[in-house]
Amino acid sequence: MDLNETAQESAFRSEARTWLEANVPTSALPSFDTAEGFALHRAWEKKLYDGGWSAVSWPVEYGGRDADYIMWLIFEEEYYRSGAPGRVNQNGIFLLGPTIMEVGTQAQKTKFLPSMASSEIVWAQAWSEPNAGSDMASIRSKATRDGDEWVLNGQKIWASRAVWADWCFGIFRTDPTAERHRGLTFILCPLDLPGITVRPIAQLDGDTGFAEIFFDDVRVPVANTLGEENKGWAVAMATAGFERGVSLRSPARFTEAVKRLIHLWKTYGDPSDTALSDAVTDAWMQAEGYRLHTYQTVTGMLEGRTIGAEASLNKIFWSEMDVRIHEIALQILGPEAERMEGPSQRWVDGFLFSLSGPIYAGTNEIQRNIIADRVLQLPKGI
Amino acid sequence: MKFSFTQDQRLFAEGLRDLLSKQCTPTHVREAWENQAGHLPDLWSRLAEMGVLSMLVPESQGGMGGTLIDAVLLFQELGRAAVPGPVLEHMAVAAPALAHTQWAHALNDGTAIATLWVDANPYVAHAQVANIILTHDSVITDFSIDDVHGIDGGRQLFTVHAQSTTKASSEVFGLPASDVMALASAAYLIGVSEAMIEVAAEYARQREQFGKPIGSFQAVKHLMSDALLKVEFAKAPTYRAAWSASTGSSTVLRDISMAKALASEAAYRASRSTMQVHGGIGYTWEADLQLWMKKSWALMRAYGDATYHRRRVGASVLHG
Repeated sequence: MDLNETAQESAFRSEARTWLEANVPTSALPSFDTAEGFALHRAWEKKLYDGGWSAVSWPVEYGGRDADYIMWLIFEEEYYRSGAPGRVNQNGIFLLGPTIMEVGTQAQKTKFLPSMASSEIVWAQAWSEPNAGSDMASIRSKATRDGDEWVLNGQKIWASRAVWADWCFGIFRTDPTAERHRGLTFILCPLDLPGITVRPIAQLDGDTGFAEIFFDDVRVPVANTLGEENKGWAVAMATAGFERGVSLRSPARFTEAVKRLIHLWKTYGDPSDTALSDAVTDAWMQAEGYRLHTYQTVTGMLEGRTIGAEASLNKIFWSEMDVRIHEIALQILGPEAERMEGPSQRWVDGFLFSLSGPIYAGTNEIQRNIIADRVLQLPKGI
Repeated sequence: MKFSFTQDQRLFAEGLRDLLSKQCTPTHVREAWENQAGHLPDLWSRLAEMGVLSMLVPESQGGMGGTLIDAVLLFQELGRAAVPGPVLEHMAVAAPALAHTQWAHALNDGTAIATLWVDANPYVAHAQVANIILTHDSVITDFSIDDVHGIDGGRQLFTVHAQSTTKASSEVFGLPASDVMALASAAYLIGVSEAMIEVAAEYARQREQFGKPIGSFQAVKHLMSDALLKVEFAKAPTYRAAWSASTGSSTVLRDISMAKALASEAAYRASRSTMQVHGGIGYTWEADLQLWMKKSWALMRAYGDATYHRRRVGASVLHG
């Protein structure tokens, strides 16, 4: 055990910090869930890519730096420290990208990864359906084989970034005789094809960060299949494992939020209110605990262990912590917490967004079932 | 940056687990509780032979020369087995603190048994087993005791009347005894919590109601998952505190406090949830669960409770 950075890690941190300090936009960009904000975030991603920072953990040949997981965490710390914009292509770079590297063909890697790293193509995810939310295996959208093409029909919902994204990825039922998680195939699909209708859904904050996608005889080449036909569930689970595991919400997001929370407490908090200072301290301990836990997890991955159902523990932990951090901030803000602008804006926006955390990427109740079944080996219930 | 244990450290911990699974079963722990011995003499000898008792004593003084990183998984294993008696006090503080005194040899080989009297606590745990009591700045070997009936049968409490004292230091690796004990207790509590969760999970697999194992019900699954969550997220902070203590980090006291606060709360949550999963049987003397629950209720308060330690963290991170 050595929790000090190596010379190489420190040099990497310093290089990242220098680049970010010179390049991060000086004022915040509009939300990437608006047309203008989306374009500006895409341009920022291109700048990151040109600097070699958009996908640091990817191989050099696809636009990355071959950084190991520890260096990726260091980059994330510097990224959040710098106040850089949110990652509009998160679905691609952190979710789909690693899956393509694991199960994709060489042609798919060559075709999709560089354009993903540069955000020339921004990706939307299309998992859920109106009747397949927590029960994702009950997917009904189907893909029917016609020669070298899949013909897609059905409806996806809660597809994040779909309003302005270029492509989407999701799973479709390809064997109608198979039940539940069998007979599903993972398919990549452009969002501008004939037969696709994207209907934006206004979120709780009013922005259209997600959408419904309707597929009406949409034709895509069979070459767009990721992984084996009818094995899409396993591919999706690999992706979901990355998402819940480490990449979706890196610890730096929360350690930086807690730094801002402590600053807020110092500015507006009543120092004699011990319940409040205990709560702020507890938020610090949670964020720090998540950081330590993640460093321990990625060291394990570097030593050859894989991340399994434990990923569900992470997802519950960070999503509940995020809500808690924002609740405390709103408590400190008092009457300002009722406003959507002014000094409270970022905290109120953040509070609303934090409330989606326990729901997306598999509700926390589903994660608790997964932990109980696979980590604690309790008997299956549903 | 490398946040993992070496293979040697893991193997030593596995060896200890193996020993405890044979010589410190719930039946053994109950014996120590019910015959008022307060510990298991045969096990004590084996812990001495294995080098557990002298893990933190320098090799030049006949010990294993280990660090708190080497010891932290051992504290955790001792907790998993709810080992009765002053093993933490002896191993984490007394043996290394007194390594350069006349008692060193006897503490290493286990022929002397030491406990601690620190933190201005009116009570001394394990005083009926110990022949050496180490206070913050002295050693007491000539004393009389009165039983004040602690809740944990494996950690009985006494008032102590010292006849004479000898000056001695209780510091270990430059840290106050109570902080070393806060770290050791945090790791021990993690082991205690893991054991409670395993026992309750096994019960939930076996016990049937409405024609199904109760572990198949979501209400039970979620209680268990939440208990596990708190324990899992107390581990890395505890291991980090051991690293900080072993490397002289400037944040060591903050890190130990973070570990003790999180482990104390995790253990309490685990005790509540696992008792609830047991239903009525959880409220009986007969159920083994109490061997760990009572350990958690004793140690979550000993050497600083969660509130004390959270405020010490706060003093560092809010005002630092």
